[in-house]
Amino acid sequence: MSQSTVIAILISIVGLPILMTPVIMYSCRVSEKLRNALSVVTSAIVFGLTCSLYPFVIGGGEIQYTLFEVLPNLEISLRLDILSFCLAILAAFVWFLCTVYSLDYMAKEHACGRYYPVLIFTLGSCQGIFFAGDLFSLFVFFELMSLIAYILVIHEETEEALKAGYKYLVMTIIGGLALFFGIIIIFELGGTVSLGVGVIIEEVSALAFIAFICFLIGFGMKAGMFPLHVWLPDAHPVAPSPASALLSGIMLKTGAYGLIRVIFYIFSPDLMKSGGWDVVLSVLAVITILLGSAVALTQNDIKRRLAYSSISQLGYVLLGLSVLNSNAVIGAVFHIFSHAFMKSVLFLAAGAIIWKTGKRQVDDLKGIGMQMPVTMGCFSLAAFAMIGIPPLNGFLSKWTLALGALDANMVVFVLILLISSLLNALYYLPIIIPAFFEMPGASRLNDHEHQELKFDIREATPAMLSVMIILALCTIIFGLTPNNAAFYLSRLTAEYLLMGGF
Amino acid sequence: MLAAAPDYILLTGPLFYSSLPLWITVLPMLAGIGIYFLKDHWESARKGCALVASLIALVGVILLFPLSLEGAVGYDLIDFMEMGLFFEVDLIGWIFAFLITFVWFLATIFSFAYMDLEHNRRRYYSFLTFTLGATVGVVMAGDFFTLFLFFELMTISSFVLVIHQQDTASMKAGILYLYLGIFGGLSLLFAILMLYSASGSVDIFPALELLEGQRTAIFIFFLIGFGIKAGIVPLHIWLPQAHPVAPSPASALLSGIMIKTGAYGILRVSLVLFSSTEELSALYSSYLFIIGNVVMWIGIVTMLAGATMALLQTNMKRILAYSSVSQMGYIVTGVGIAAFLGIEGGMGFAGSIYHIINHAFFKAGLFMMVGTIYIYTHELELPRLGGMLKKMPLVAVTFIIAAFGIAGIPGFNGYPSKTLIHDAMLIAIKDYGFLSVDLAEKIFVLTSALTVCYFIKLFRGVFLGPVPEKLNRDYKLPFSVNAVLAGFALIITAIGIFPNLILERILVPAAERLNYEGYAMDHLYHFHFFEWLPLQAMLIVIILAALIYIPAAYRGWFAWKPPWWLSIYALIYQPVTHRLMDVTCRAGVMVDSSIDSAYDRSGSAARTWCEYIGSFDKSLDNFYDKSGKAASKLAERSSDMDSKIDGFYEKSGKAARKLADRSTDMDSALNEAYRKTGETAKKLVEKTSDAESRLDSVYDKAGKKAREEMDKRLSDKREKTKSFDPAKWTTKNLSFDTLLLVLVLGVVLLVIFYFGRSL
Repeated sequence: MSQSTVIAILISIVGLPILMTPVIMYSCRVSEKLRNALSVVTSAIVFGLTCSLYPFVIGGGEIQYTLFEVLPNLEISLRLDILSFCLAILAAFVWFLCTVYSLDYMAKEHACGRYYPVLIFTLGSCQGIFFAGDLFSLFVFFELMSLIAYILVIHEETEEALKAGYKYLVMTIIGGLALFFGIIIIFELGGTVSLGVGVIIEEVSALAFIAFICFLIGFGMKAGMFPLHVWLPDAHPVAPSPASALLSGIMLKTGAYGLIRVIFYIFSPDLMKSGGWDVVLSVLAVITILLGSAVALTQNDIKRRLAYSSISQLGYVLLGLSVLNSNAVIGAVFHIFSHAFMKSVLFLAAGAIIWKTGKRQVDDLKGIGMQMPVTMGCFSLAAFAMIGIPPLNGFLSKWTLALGALDANMVVFVLILLISSLLNALYYLPIIIPAFFEMPGASRLNDHEHQELKFDIREATPAMLSVMIILALCTIIFGLTPNNAAFYLSRLTAEYLLMGGF
Repeated sequence: MLAAAPDYILLTGPLFYSSLPLWITVLPMLAGIGIYFLKDHWESARKGCALVASLIALVGVILLFPLSLEGAVGYDLIDFMEMGLFFEVDLIGWIFAFLITFVWFLATIFSFAYMDLEHNRRRYYSFLTFTLGATVGVVMAGDFFTLFLFFELMTISSFVLVIHQQDTASMKAGILYLYLGIFGGLSLLFAILMLYSASGSVDIFPALELLEGQRTAIFIFFLIGFGIKAGIVPLHIWLPQAHPVAPSPASALLSGIMIKTGAYGILRVSLVLFSSTEELSALYSSYLFIIGNVVMWIGIVTMLAGATMALLQTNMKRILAYSSVSQMGYIVTGVGIAAFLGIEGGMGFAGSIYHIINHAFFKAGLFMMVGTIYIYTHELELPRLGGMLKKMPLVAVTFIIAAFGIAGIPGFNGYPSKTLIHDAMLIAIKDYGFLSVDLAEKIFVLTSALTVCYFIKLFRGVFLGPVPEKLNRDYKLPFSVNAVLAGFALIITAIGIFPNLILERILVPAAERLNYEGYAMDHLYHFHFFEWLPLQAMLIVIILAALIYIPAAYRGWFAWKPPWWLSIYALIYQPVTHRLMDVTCRAGVMVDSSIDSAYDRSGSAARTWCEYIGSFDKSLDNFYDKSGKAASKLAERSSDMDSKIDGFYEKSGKAARKLADRSTDMDSALNEAYRKTGETAKKLVEKTSDAESRLDSVYDKAGKKAREEMDKRLSDKREKTKSFDPAKWTTKNLSFDTLLLVLVLGVVLLVIFYFGRSL
């Protein structure tokens, strides 16, 4: 595949969804079916195009291409390497499935004419973040995505949603400003913010540290890092479920992605270690993990519980990034994959339950497994993956992260991971066990009373189910099989990041 | 992980490759999943599936015997997760695997009659069969990773068996079981990770010298992980709750088989992982001595606590569950002795393995016997039962045999294994003369006596005495139940009468694998069970039991119920877990909400500041406002002055108008004079115009004729050029095709011009 073809594909991956946004917006005047079809087709095309980059990337291909210069040395540029490919293909895949899921889920909802264009636009800007060739274009796409996603957050337009949206907006703007400040410092120090020139900052200085903190605030805010996570448990639950799945499964990862770029391309692992900056990250990561898990225990709203769980899971990624050795980075990147699959399934399944029954309190979910066995089956599978039961992908990422921590002689981190797993069990099992083994409505049976369990199937629509099943299968496949695409890509990425090639 | 296996692995025989272990584990799992999707009314298909799956597993394991006797059967499935799945069945693993599949097979047959009277059969058979695969996988695993995988699967799938009843008690027990199981699994995982990072491999091989500083931590976490499953005190609390609530065949498997996986783990860790090659063992002997002692004492405490608690229960299945705890104590004690005797430990090792085999048979049998009584009477409490000897004589006979087995009466299977463990203790006393072992031996004898006591209590309560009114009817047991129970009784007596058969054929070769030698091994080859010395020990136990039981039963000591607060659950677990949960949740919520409120507060502080700035802004505004008002007042005053000036002008204007009035008067007089002269002139003109109008009308007529002719001609012409309307020729009205035409024309012209120029 020639360079120019790749560049054309890159431009169309980013540009197509953004161009299609007005088309989709106006198409709903013609018919809703056309609008839905256009949205699905657009996301499918983006997924297909992203897939087509696979051979190029696996062959070690790398592209840095300047679109145009805004100011001298400040440009809008695109970059394709294995790291951006990893996240882009993940995003495109989950986005496509969530769009399909939306068709049925949103049929009952209002303001779909606003929902679909925004969904597709955020896809474009999200891909833009992953394919950005320098910090400035990354920042532009980052802000675009964050701000547009506000519309997804407040979709319900309830008072709660608007409040959460306001919080989200304020935090986003704070993060964006911090990011911008960081970029300015880097530009001042290094004279460029391009990601294609290797490490920009080569020695520790106070200004560089301030830049690092700024990036930590800007990207950490998006990744739900303590103490900037406050918007997340409010914003994710109020959005429509496919949007929550994307917010939690993919858009959080843009923060992690940004941090990876900053750690490996602006600074360097050695610089991080010599400056002791990794300690900052690891302390925050540990607090994030424990805090997210602990607070999730106390939540009764199922989507809020999932949102807190997301905070803790992103903590794993940050922890892996703070350890900065081969296994830890593989684990961190692989956990980005794992968490995207697990959390999307969980949110989509929770969404299907809410859509079908209107129940969102954990206490009300007794016996739901008898009504929606497939949905709850997928939910359980993903939850077991979260807990870290072996043949599932969650175990693999935990195992790799733990090995990384042990390589760095940080036994404490392993303990933290395991405590968090135990807490995961404590907040997921009370959803699953009553769902399958308790009667809806009635209190528990008296001793020695027999009752035959009967399936009373009132499932979600086939399209929603198939989306959940595909994602749930991913949690098995990407755990069970060795050299699966996700793990392979993660390993290549780690090698690429740590050794500058594979 | 075969490739990474070090050379000094203690394999005295060759390693045979065969995929049979994989199929033995995977097939029941697949069958279990398949059973769930069979239709509700295909009862016999479901039973058949479960039976065939367990039979295939049993046959598969039997087929492995010759190979594992010679060496070990290994199978490496690299294409599984990142770590690969590695099976290795050596003789120790084979013993466990055989035990599991065999008892499972019997339990499956027993289930048919039992479960016909129960609900949710589909789920039961499905998970029963699935759990078989997972459990066999644990003991056939060749490395700790594979072991852990199956261990977790077993925990989760057996949870469904525990909560089968779905009433309050079973849900509570099941949830405790699951949480402790997951906790145990995680501590196991931690130990495995530490092992992996220290030794670079997760194989089960002597790695003591590789572990160095972390060995104690690794050992403790392994002990917690396996100990929870094995039910050692104080990690046993789930066991007496979970085993009684499950359906009886499942309890039989939980108590008889699944807790053995914990024992298996402890055995592998303390006898294989924490051992070393011969030259090095001297270096570590003191460490191993401590480890062994700790394990032994854990076993001793477990055995005594379990037996005491069993004595105080009135629920049949609870007695048996506590009895399981106590018997696991025997097994762990044997392992501990084997560990600290080092090379001389063959006796302890053989004793504990033997007891594992025996316990599996008699405890599984006992649970099924008790289960038979329960399913027909729906009664588990001893005070409400009685006289079953007459109603179910076969059950009574088999029960007596199994009870003799567990009590260690010579001629039944518990006797040889207890004797071996006791003998191992005697060797330890002889070698070390150590007070610790001396004391342990005394407790051992006491516990054996207590075991006899609680079985007398159980037997009296269930089978003797009058039959309660409610239960006084005829019971007809199906053949399959009778056959299974009789089968257990037969095995128990067979092992009891020919104890040396299993010892020489299986246990001694297994002990040789672990390089045991010395006095104990010499002794083991031809152990004489029916000599005076071991028989004397048993006699002491029986006399002691009589001494305890008679006065205690007379005074009613067994009816004493320990208060709730004395239980380990109330003393340790509840406060610890509650505190921990409380602290975690509270701390988490506090931090989270305080951050949230910090943001809120800083936000509102910022807003207050903004308000201050706003009020400043307002005052500024006010200032402008006021100054503006002052300016407007000034303006008003100036306008007053203006009006005065205006008035002045007006007056002067009036005077001027009067002057003007007068001059107009004069003007009108002049005007009158002009008008009169004008009128005479007009009359003159009228006369001349009369003549002119006549002339005009003549011209007019001629002109009209000419115009009509002209009109006619014009209209003819207009019809010919009707479409042409120059007024409409604006760009606004250009139709698309004309535009296109023009464009094309233009392009053509351009082309022509262009080429024309170049020509």
